[in-house]
Amino acid sequence: MKSMNLKKYTRYVFVVIAVGTFSACKKVIDLKLDEAVPVIVIDGGISDLNENQVVKVSKTYNFTEPNKFNGVSKANIVLKADAKVLAVFVETDPGIYKSPTKFKGKPGVRYDLSVTSEGKTYEASSIMPARVILDALTFKTFNFFGGNKSYIVANFSDPAGIANQYRYILKTKGVVEEDAVSEDRFNDGNKVENVIFYELDDLVKGDSVHVEFQCVDRNVYRYFYSIGQNSGQGGPPVSPANPPSNFSNGALGVFNAHTSSSRTAVIK
Amino acid sequence: MPYTIRVVLILLFTTLFQYSNAQTRRTVNGNVTDSKTGETLIGASVKLSGSTPAGGITNAYGFYSLNVTDGNYEIAVSFIGYKTVVKKVEISKDMRLNFALEEDNQLDEVVISATKKNENVSSPQMGLQKINVREINNVPVLLGERDVLKTLQLLPGIKSAGEGNSGFYVRGGSTDQNLILLDEAPVYNASHLLGFFSTFNSDAIKDVSVYKGGMPAQYGGRLASVLDIKMNDGNRKEFTAEGGIGLISSRLKVEAPIVKDKGSFMVSARRTYMDAFFKLSSDSSINKNTLYFYDINAKANYQLDDKNTLYLSGYFGRDKLGLAKTFGFNWGNATVTLRWNHLYSNKLFSNTSLIYSNYNYVIQNFMEESNFEVNSSIKDFNLKQDFEYSLSNDHHLKFGLNVIHHTIAPGKLTADARSSVNETTYENRKGLESAIYVSDEWAVNERLNLVYGLRLSAFSLLGPGNFKTYDAAGNTTQIKAYGSGDFVKNYLNLEPRFSASYQMNTGSSLKGAYTRNIQNIHLMSNSTSTSPTDLYIMNSNNVKPEIADQVALGYFRNFNEDKYEFSAEIYYKWMQNQIEYRSGTDLRGNGNVEADLLYGDGRAYGIELFLKKRFGKFNGWIGYTYSRTERQFDAINEGKWFYAKQDRTHDLSLVGIYKAGPRWTFSSVFVYNTGNAVTYPSGKYQVNGRTAFYYKEKNGYRTPAYHRLDVSATLEGKPGKRLQSSWSFGIYNLYNRQNAFSIDFKDDPDDATRTQVTRTTLFGIIPSVTWNFKF
Repeated sequence: MKSMNLKKYTRYVFVVIAVGTFSACKKVIDLKLDEAVPVIVIDGGISDLNENQVVKVSKTYNFTEPNKFNGVSKANIVLKADAKVLAVFVETDPGIYKSPTKFKGKPGVRYDLSVTSEGKTYEASSIMPARVILDALTFKTFNFFGGNKSYIVANFSDPAGIANQYRYILKTKGVVEEDAVSEDRFNDGNKVENVIFYELDDLVKGDSVHVEFQCVDRNVYRYFYSIGQNSGQGGPPVSPANPPSNFSNGALGVFNAHTSSSRTAVIK
Repeated sequence: MPYTIRVVLILLFTTLFQYSNAQTRRTVNGNVTDSKTGETLIGASVKLSGSTPAGGITNAYGFYSLNVTDGNYEIAVSFIGYKTVVKKVEISKDMRLNFALEEDNQLDEVVISATKKNENVSSPQMGLQKINVREINNVPVLLGERDVLKTLQLLPGIKSAGEGNSGFYVRGGSTDQNLILLDEAPVYNASHLLGFFSTFNSDAIKDVSVYKGGMPAQYGGRLASVLDIKMNDGNRKEFTAEGGIGLISSRLKVEAPIVKDKGSFMVSARRTYMDAFFKLSSDSSINKNTLYFYDINAKANYQLDDKNTLYLSGYFGRDKLGLAKTFGFNWGNATVTLRWNHLYSNKLFSNTSLIYSNYNYVIQNFMEESNFEVNSSIKDFNLKQDFEYSLSNDHHLKFGLNVIHHTIAPGKLTADARSSVNETTYENRKGLESAIYVSDEWAVNERLNLVYGLRLSAFSLLGPGNFKTYDAAGNTTQIKAYGSGDFVKNYLNLEPRFSASYQMNTGSSLKGAYTRNIQNIHLMSNSTSTSPTDLYIMNSNNVKPEIADQVALGYFRNFNEDKYEFSAEIYYKWMQNQIEYRSGTDLRGNGNVEADLLYGDGRAYGIELFLKKRFGKFNGWIGYTYSRTERQFDAINEGKWFYAKQDRTHDLSLVGIYKAGPRWTFSSVFVYNTGNAVTYPSGKYQVNGRTAFYYKEKNGYRTPAYHRLDVSATLEGKPGKRLQSSWSFGIYNLYNRQNAFSIDFKDDPDDATRTQVTRTTLFGIIPSVTWNFKF
């Protein structure tokens, strides 16, 4: 998986040069940041699993506030599949909207989500890609500068002849620790062993690592790729920008119709 | 600018006509060299006094040419740092007069400017900064590695691209808008070690000129500046060697005559050995890593006869990084320049150059299941033909042509059969960049001097290959296949160049300039710093040439018998077809990179103040710049103007050098600048339970202000010995200012309910020591 490894390597190269050779120093500082007018954020997904599908609607809040889900209530959410209404979502908790019944999304179907809140409507569409399953999780240890580092490796077979995009959500103890994407530009049709660059070395024997493996469409891939760039996952930091949302009308967030398969590995 | 063009053409033809009728004059020409080494002297002043006084300065090859009527003259040849030679001559025919000047080692001339004493005032050239290599040697630098590019950043209008970074911004331009020439060969990546060191080993350098505006018509191809670096020719008199041993690198230079007084060579090399310290570790994850760079400059010259001289020069440099047995990364430039100086007549000087330039990088992944190698390069073949014609003492014409053939290999990915990586090759891109130019330096009268010229530049994108056209949203609208040698797209541009000086008295002048520059080749870089893997692309059916129009006005004044030099320049620059990227653009291995580009406008303006004390025990300078640089893209920041990342409001540099006696020299540098324009969050939100940041506008924040004080001391060995040696001691960032290299925003690792701001400082206080020798 060239693109993903390469950016991680470039990052290590920078770390080696900056920290290893010179006297780099990190310090937490106070910085005055603007208090912007809150903007709507829609985080919605349709999976191919039989479940109540979830859409979360929230608003941005100030940087200095504690992290929270700043939910927005009373939104009107309609999901269409191939232009026919499939579900009208209901609010179960503030800002959390669920489909009233459980259903499976189908690969190849175009889903349209319409969210109306405070008089404005935001629309997005996403086509669920063909399903690829996560075959296995394995471990890999790298002998990097100054010590060994262990990582989880996602093993799967990429289907030949079509462009695929994948998303990896790694959880330990119920907390999302890594959310990364890759594509098959350089290994189309191959057996892929893709390293997820979350260091496992803080985990102890018996801890488990859960990886959800999604197939996502091109726009969704680009959205998460851009978030990764902003957080400096891609080596030399890119001047950050809001990731390209597939919602209209200036909403932040993404609507993601994806397939899903999961595996759990236990640290031995 | 059709009007400007018309004016320039009329001026050109009237002058040509005028001088075809002028009376017969004699030509006096020749070379000016250093008597000890035989090195040619660039910018030496030659003055004839007598019935028709005349004066000029030597060109890039140490050659001058003057026209006078018959009579008795006194000829004075001077160059700062050298003893003036005065000679009486009777001129009744064309004459060739060569001069060898003796170095003047007076105590009070430590810092030497490679210009005649008031050239800065009398010349119509503006926006020009020159650096003498001896100045560089005395200015304190990071880790004791003296560096042309870092010393340049202490001059007004030239700004550092980051802490310890050899990349630079000129008058609101980006780093790829600088034309960097080493013996006329364009250098595509002028930095080592991801920017911390420049590729220019100051041992090998004779002359450094940087044009921030008012570029003469012989230069073209980049928007913001021209950095013209000339290498030493080599000692024509005797064998000499010099070198230095420093904390992270060592250098050695050897020079000798090939045939005494006829030809010589110079070879200069340096290598860093940071990774030597890795080897001391017993940890195999450390001692198997590599991290170093080297460069070699070599040059030879041979004078065939009075009319013909050949020069061959080359540069080869490479950076190597390796992480044990998993990963390898190396990159570097190679340039070769072959030049032939020829005198067609007493008045017509010609230089023909054949230039090869290559930049490439290689990335290797050695892991069995995903091994691969990436190769990428940009390769140029370049022909330059320049003529200098002394029409009269009042008119010096320069004209010529330049053809560059570019080949860009964006990337070739190879892997063996065991690898999960597929072999991929991106199509090479070929282009032809050509230009013809003419310019005239016209001394209208005692006070008014003009340089005016025109450059006609053409660019053709050549086949073979499949070329895509994209709409404004980045969707492919057309794919067209072209055969080898087919013209895919052509661009033709006129670049008028005009500058004038009006000398109010011997010590002061007013100058003005208008310059248009075109750039046909563009560096793709969306990171906040440049990387060796940044790719060049050429104009295409999607990408148009970048255009900049600059006007500048300046006041220049020398006082106290040219001991002090002062200048104030203001400029305003308009830029078209500037390039930005859609968010989420992946520039690595992206065969459709043009689909992710956005095009917009730029504007930059500012005032630059410069005060320099040129001679004396104590010398140095103060440079101050106030400036703005902004961009406007329909698809960014809601179409509103935003500050470019290189925008810095205030920029101040102080440089002081004190020669305390025959052996000790002390020096100090202080810099202060407003922080760069950057994008920071103005809020946050949650996606999939993780914190994401909300960015209200592009580059709406500033990094904290940057300032730093460096000091250094040099102790020369006892004079008179065969082996001369010196010690240099330096302290970088004396008061340990914690300047921000980067500011990061993330969840607090100890408290997941909070977010925090982290500042990374790269260089605190850093001492250095270097031992230099010469014999």
